[in-house]
Amino acid sequence: MARKGTAPPRRRADQKEATRARIVAAALALFRTRGFDATTTKAIARKARVAEGTVFNYFPTKEDIALFFLAQEVELAIDAVQKNTRLRKAPIEEKLFTLVQTQLEFLTPHERFIGSVFVHALKPGCKLGVFSPAAQALQFKYLAFVQELVDEAIRRGELKAAGWWTPQVFWIYYLGVLLYWLHDPSPGKQQTLAFLDRSLKIGIAILGQ
Amino acid sequence: MTKPARPLAGAAASTTGTAIGLALQRLFPTTTAKGRILRLAGLTAGVTGSYVGYMVQRLFLGEEQREKKRKSVHAHTGRRIRDELMTLRGPAMKFGQALSLHTDILPDEILAELSKLQMEAPGMHASLAEAQFKASLGRAPDAVFKSFLPEPFAAASLGQVHRAVLRDGTPVAVKIQYPQIRAAIENDFKWLRNASLPALASGHVQKSSLDELESQILAETDYVREADHLEFFRKGLAPLGFVTVPEVYREYSTDRVLTMSMVEGQHLDAFLATKPSQKMRDLIGSRLHELFTFQLLVLKKLHADPHWGNYLFKADGTISLIDFGCVKEFEDVVIQRLRKGFLYRGPFDSPEFQQIIREQLAQPGKKVTPAILRAMADFATRFYRRVYPPDRPDDWTFDFSDEAFLRDFAAAAAKTIWAKASAPQYIFMLRAEVGLYTTLHRLRARVPTSAIVRRILGASVS
Repeated sequence: MARKGTAPPRRRADQKEATRARIVAAALALFRTRGFDATTTKAIARKARVAEGTVFNYFPTKEDIALFFLAQEVELAIDAVQKNTRLRKAPIEEKLFTLVQTQLEFLTPHERFIGSVFVHALKPGCKLGVFSPAAQALQFKYLAFVQELVDEAIRRGELKAAGWWTPQVFWIYYLGVLLYWLHDPSPGKQQTLAFLDRSLKIGIAILGQ
Repeated sequence: MTKPARPLAGAAASTTGTAIGLALQRLFPTTTAKGRILRLAGLTAGVTGSYVGYMVQRLFLGEEQREKKRKSVHAHTGRRIRDELMTLRGPAMKFGQALSLHTDILPDEILAELSKLQMEAPGMHASLAEAQFKASLGRAPDAVFKSFLPEPFAAASLGQVHRAVLRDGTPVAVKIQYPQIRAAIENDFKWLRNASLPALASGHVQKSSLDELESQILAETDYVREADHLEFFRKGLAPLGFVTVPEVYREYSTDRVLTMSMVEGQHLDAFLATKPSQKMRDLIGSRLHELFTFQLLVLKKLHADPHWGNYLFKADGTISLIDFGCVKEFEDVVIQRLRKGFLYRGPFDSPEFQQIIREQLAQPGKKVTPAILRAMADFATRFYRRVYPPDRPDDWTFDFSDEAFLRDFAAAAAKTIWAKASAPQYIFMLRAEVGLYTTLHRLRARVPTSAIVRRILGASVS
């Protein structure tokens, strides 16, 4: 039996992962109840039952926690499209729908936090902002996937050759959907579902001309 | 601004036709009232366009080619109308379904396309249907059912139906509603009210009738209410012994998702394609007639969505009734007044019959004029006395294969509309009645109409 502090590497990695998950869960719970701005790393450490220094070991700032959460969101959404065998033959419209809808479902319990992240990201020098390298890397990963879907749709004749700007336009569209979703008061976010479905239909129809 | 849109689109239709129609449709989405109005206007333009094209071509075609072309134009138009109504959903689709019941006034090719509207509609792709299910029940279909087929097997005007299997192995049908259909319907009615302004002003369409139509169609968006109807009719129709109504699974149902037991049977077209014997067609016809009369006089509630997609027929002559979204409930007093008119023996211009009509059409602030009384007497003479003679023996049957009777029914009914003899409580009854006669006509059934009514009148003293 391994002594405390000298656990096998795999178990050590699992423990690290568990601590990271605990910190993220604690932070998200606090973002939800207190709001993003009012949450301190001290409070996160207390809720996660770790030392404040441990929080810093994993995430230098709370913005890094938010970025980690958003990276999870993007990964999950890409997986939802890539790993769904039924979607392989589906038209691009349905793939993009699944991509965005998976993101929104992931964000649903954290609606309040997402709203404040939106505002926070506008602050100069913010790690979540459009000019931060970390946020850009995440955006590139997301848009590279959208580009893959677009290229495939062009190969299959669903879309006419789309310009370099297509993923960029999709990014703006996605932010628009996110804002719409944030302000959608309907039960089960019905309005967003209908908006997402119809707007994608129109967008694809325009690109298919 | 919706007002300039229609004249503009109308002008487009008369000049450039299809291209403008298509452009309008592509430019304007269906989400806003304006978008839907323009889309409908675009449809008119497109359809008008294809007829304009045909009119031009007929000048240069021989008789045989012309007939061929005419058929293809009809079929094309039917497809266009159907596709557009499918995209719009809601009352526009209902309107299409209602049109398709009018076998007497539309060309067969258009009818064939429109009749597809009753069973197929492009609905949500699987991901949207699943998202809608999840948003409504809180769990994905895969987490709720043992299996769930992402491709729908039937369309409802307000949603679509998927096959699924419960954890205990019971096969079920899961109806999922298109998101925001309620808002779409409200927008359609804004359009309908605008489009009906001249008819409203002249009194040929009443505001109360439009209100009735809107409230009934909006009520169809509430699947909890539909579940109540299903349970009511399942119990209420049991004494008939030949009707199956699906069982509701409340634990897997919400206001936007309805899970029901799977019922068997074929749609009318498929059933007729099996070439059922005259005896079988007579049996089914008589049962459909009994079903209608029993609902009206005994249950005082009517399955008022009579389009063919809602009836399933089995080889043993039993009938399954599905889609209980549109159910009309009648007050006792309304049914009592209706009963007096059933199998009326005296002359239709007698003071007694006129009094029955006055009572039936009584509405606050509306007078039953002599013109209305004449139109109703004409309706009764030309149609009801022929189909429901009061003095024939029980084995007498009316032959619904008769080509003229539906036309007479439509003509006499139109006269009553021109005479402004309508009351909101009868809209859905009339709709169901038209559906019944159209189906009986397609079945070419011989039905002992008077005997059925006599029996149910006798058995159900109101």
